[in-house]
Amino acid sequence: MIISAPSREHNPRLRAIGTIIAAGFLILLVALWRVQVMRGEHYDSKQEAQSLRRIRIPAARGEIVDRNGVVLANNRPSYDVAIYLDQLGRISKKTDVVRVAQANVGALGVALGRKIELADGVVRTQYEKRRPLPLRVLQDLSPELVAAFAERASNLPGADLIVMPVRQYPLGSLAAHLLGYVAKANENDDEEIEKFYYYQPDSVGRQGVEKACDEYLRGSPGGRTIRVTPAGTLANDLGDKQAERGGRVTLTIDVRLQRIVEEALAGVKLPAGKVLRGAAVLLDVRTGEVLAMASVPGFDPNIFNPGTPVPTIQAVFNDPASPMLNRAIGARYPPGSTFKTITLLAGLESGAILPQDTVACSGFLQIGNWKRPFKCWNEHGHGSVDAYKAITESCDVWFYQEGMKTGVDAITRVAAEFGLGQATGFDVGKENKGFVPSPAWKRTTYGEKWWDGDTAQLAIGQSYLLVTPLQMACIAATFANGGAGLHPYVVKRIEAAEGQVVHEGQPDIRVHLSAKPQQIDFVRRAMLGAVQEIGGTAHPAAVSGLNVAGKTGTAEYDVTVDGKPQRLKRAWFMGFAPYDQPQVALAVLIEDASSGGHTAGPVAQKVFSKMFGKGAVETPGAESGAYAD
Amino acid sequence: MPIKRYLKLIKRMDWLLFGAMMALAVASVFFIYSASYSGPGLPMRSLYKMQMVWFGVGVLVYLAAALVDYRLICQWATVWYVIAVGLLVLVLVSGVKVYGARRWLGLGSFGIQPAEIAKLATLVAISYYLFHHTLESRRELSTVWVVLAMTGAPLVLIVLEPDLGSALVLLPICFGLMFAAGVRVKHLVLATVLGCILAAIGLPVMWKMKENKTGRKNYQKERLTVYVHHDYDPLGAGWNLNQSLIAVGSGGMTGKGYLQGTQNLLGYLPRSVTPNDFLFSVIAEEEGFVGSLGVIGLYAVLLFSGLRIAANARDRLGMLLATGVVVMLFFHIFINVGMTIGLMPVTGLPLPLLSYGGSFVLASMTALGLLQNVWIHRRIY
Repeated sequence: MIISAPSREHNPRLRAIGTIIAAGFLILLVALWRVQVMRGEHYDSKQEAQSLRRIRIPAARGEIVDRNGVVLANNRPSYDVAIYLDQLGRISKKTDVVRVAQANVGALGVALGRKIELADGVVRTQYEKRRPLPLRVLQDLSPELVAAFAERASNLPGADLIVMPVRQYPLGSLAAHLLGYVAKANENDDEEIEKFYYYQPDSVGRQGVEKACDEYLRGSPGGRTIRVTPAGTLANDLGDKQAERGGRVTLTIDVRLQRIVEEALAGVKLPAGKVLRGAAVLLDVRTGEVLAMASVPGFDPNIFNPGTPVPTIQAVFNDPASPMLNRAIGARYPPGSTFKTITLLAGLESGAILPQDTVACSGFLQIGNWKRPFKCWNEHGHGSVDAYKAITESCDVWFYQEGMKTGVDAITRVAAEFGLGQATGFDVGKENKGFVPSPAWKRTTYGEKWWDGDTAQLAIGQSYLLVTPLQMACIAATFANGGAGLHPYVVKRIEAAEGQVVHEGQPDIRVHLSAKPQQIDFVRRAMLGAVQEIGGTAHPAAVSGLNVAGKTGTAEYDVTVDGKPQRLKRAWFMGFAPYDQPQVALAVLIEDASSGGHTAGPVAQKVFSKMFGKGAVETPGAESGAYAD
Repeated sequence: MPIKRYLKLIKRMDWLLFGAMMALAVASVFFIYSASYSGPGLPMRSLYKMQMVWFGVGVLVYLAAALVDYRLICQWATVWYVIAVGLLVLVLVSGVKVYGARRWLGLGSFGIQPAEIAKLATLVAISYYLFHHTLESRRELSTVWVVLAMTGAPLVLIVLEPDLGSALVLLPICFGLMFAAGVRVKHLVLATVLGCILAAIGLPVMWKMKENKTGRKNYQKERLTVYVHHDYDPLGAGWNLNQSLIAVGSGGMTGKGYLQGTQNLLGYLPRSVTPNDFLFSVIAEEEGFVGSLGVIGLYAVLLFSGLRIAANARDRLGMLLATGVVVMLFFHIFINVGMTIGLMPVTGLPLPLLSYGGSFVLASMTALGLLQNVWIHRRIY
């Protein structure tokens, strides 16, 4: 009726105009069909891309507790002052935002009586990328400042007090090297970054258990989806997903023992001017669980929280004593006389040494045509020495001779059996493998032939041999168990937030010596004598009412200090207790000490006596330095 | 009794035409409301109320334009034309400057756009001029020059405001009327070619002069750049087109629902121009292709009714008037809808009846009143 109505005046030109109009409408409809129906989804996703934003909400980090549930790491609230750039009032030009924000922050600083530093670039980035999110300008306020904010500054435009979880280590520096610390994650560290437009980074573990168990501790982040206006301000919330709390990590550490070990280490007196550096490891020989692991100097992981001035953190990182280094696993030292236990076992096993082999020690031994004689630590000589006495009194001359008889290959083979030169597989932190030399290695490295003198040095744990304190504790544990060594570990259990166990540390035999039980037992008895007998070099570690077996060592090394050559000593103790039914193995290392017996022995004594609640044995002359090696 | 006479005339009205117009008017109020709405409880501009007032006034103007015999109205064509041109001169002298252009004449608290009056006056004047020529004289080239001159005066004045979009509307009116009046196609083609050459030389020169004077990039040139390259400067000059495309496209087949268009609600479609220039985008986003089809359908009813009226006009004057109105409205519709999807460059040409704005609502309803007028005063057998 509309179009085909009878027209009185047949006008072809009107018809032409009608055709043009019809064609015009058809073009519009086809174009609209193309945009709306055929490419609708394309524009729909474009629309979402520009107006939908996902905000990442970090999860609360899981707890770390000791074997009895004592909290080693958890979270506490940090009160931060933040400003919302989209609530600062009208910002007409983009360039104004920095000026307006700085003016507001300045007013905030005046109200709180504290100067607030805020870089212009930070404001600009926040404004462009994270406008609806709070920009933190002051972190971890003291209760006084929180009160001051509530009283005087809460009505400033855009300013708000927000609560953020902060990692806390309630026991301070206790077991700090094992626990590690957390820092803000780099955005690039996270594979999910692409899916989130507004990214609030998690804390990420940077060392120790915090790093090793990071994936369990960090939980899974939640998210919030919002719509934003073209100005980037929040329009409305479209829903959110709760963040999932991180799992709980239970360590094999016992806080009581950890404290005993740390206090014993801290009690070491060094000559004036020397910084105490050292480590101690206490293992449960039956399971391989690490009951305590300490390294000095230490650090307080709480300083890595926001709010700590940067120089404080820098000072820790730049300290020449390397407080961040976990010396128990991350540093290697020559084992000194503690290694004699392994040399003896290798000799007995290979048949080169018999227990009754007797050597007359006159204080030194001439080997080949070397220009200087090889000295015993006791320059007066030990007199007639058999294998047993060679361990208890740590006679070097006996081991020079018997070691050369045993030979480098037999010694290094048993050393390798003990796991030296290899990582122990400890589950936390970066482990040093230590080093076991060989003639082939010496030839390729120095172009020199391995000679008898090298074997003699190796026999007493000097020369090129290097071990970590953890490896030393494992050696003690292996002797304690009569030849079986367990893989050391510190993560006892990991539970997800809902409580189900996702990981459980299991005892696992790592070392199985091929020596005969009576040969191993002989070395164990000699180690008992070294501690229990009055003349034993390890007697400073003796505890009345407790049978302690052990061996001390003093590894000497030459350094150049201020252009002058100096001979420094590493003091060692390694041993286990009780002798009859061994429970724990202990290794102690002190850098720059006088001697193993004098310096490391008393540390072991303190640990054992406090741990087992027994009295210490009076050790005459301990203070005078009569006990050496 | 004149009232009785008018009632009799009203009974002869084309009710389909009237119905389609009122449907568009109602849609206009609803979607201007939507275009100002940003969420429950949030403050909004009450443009939709103003638009209702304009439609109220518009119905009165419509009746006046429909009932007074068009032949009587057209006898005053010269007067209308002179008044319109006078107002265009006046606006250049004492117009209110908005965004760098003088398009508005202040009238108390209201403003009127003389360009809208000029469109109608020129339409009436050309129709009346062509009506007074015999078929023979209409086929002469001199007629073309006279009509072009009649168009040229208001066109140049509107370009000077500047309001290029409105000025260009005069061209299809002028050519459409000449074509319908039987002017030789050969002559029309000649005029078109000449016009194109003039534009090709004139526009760049004009833009260059302006750029030298203001030191700024000419917005007309930028809009043309955006038209050619849709991705040009998406956060600046290309913002409106891109956001409009996203709005229309994301509407899909059935739309997001009334007051649910996120592009519109969140302000991606700029609130300042959406009720005027991009109202179609709001409808397309919220009602989808179905809504677009409905709008185009209502316009089709208007325009094809108009052509039917032209064909059934009592005389050549009525036929020309009706044709002119149809061509004018079509040009607005095609440019505006085409603009929202990048088919046409962005110009400020509003959508008849739907777009917010008093002057254009009144002008459109006057034009539709004239259409009704031609129908009412047709000869009935």
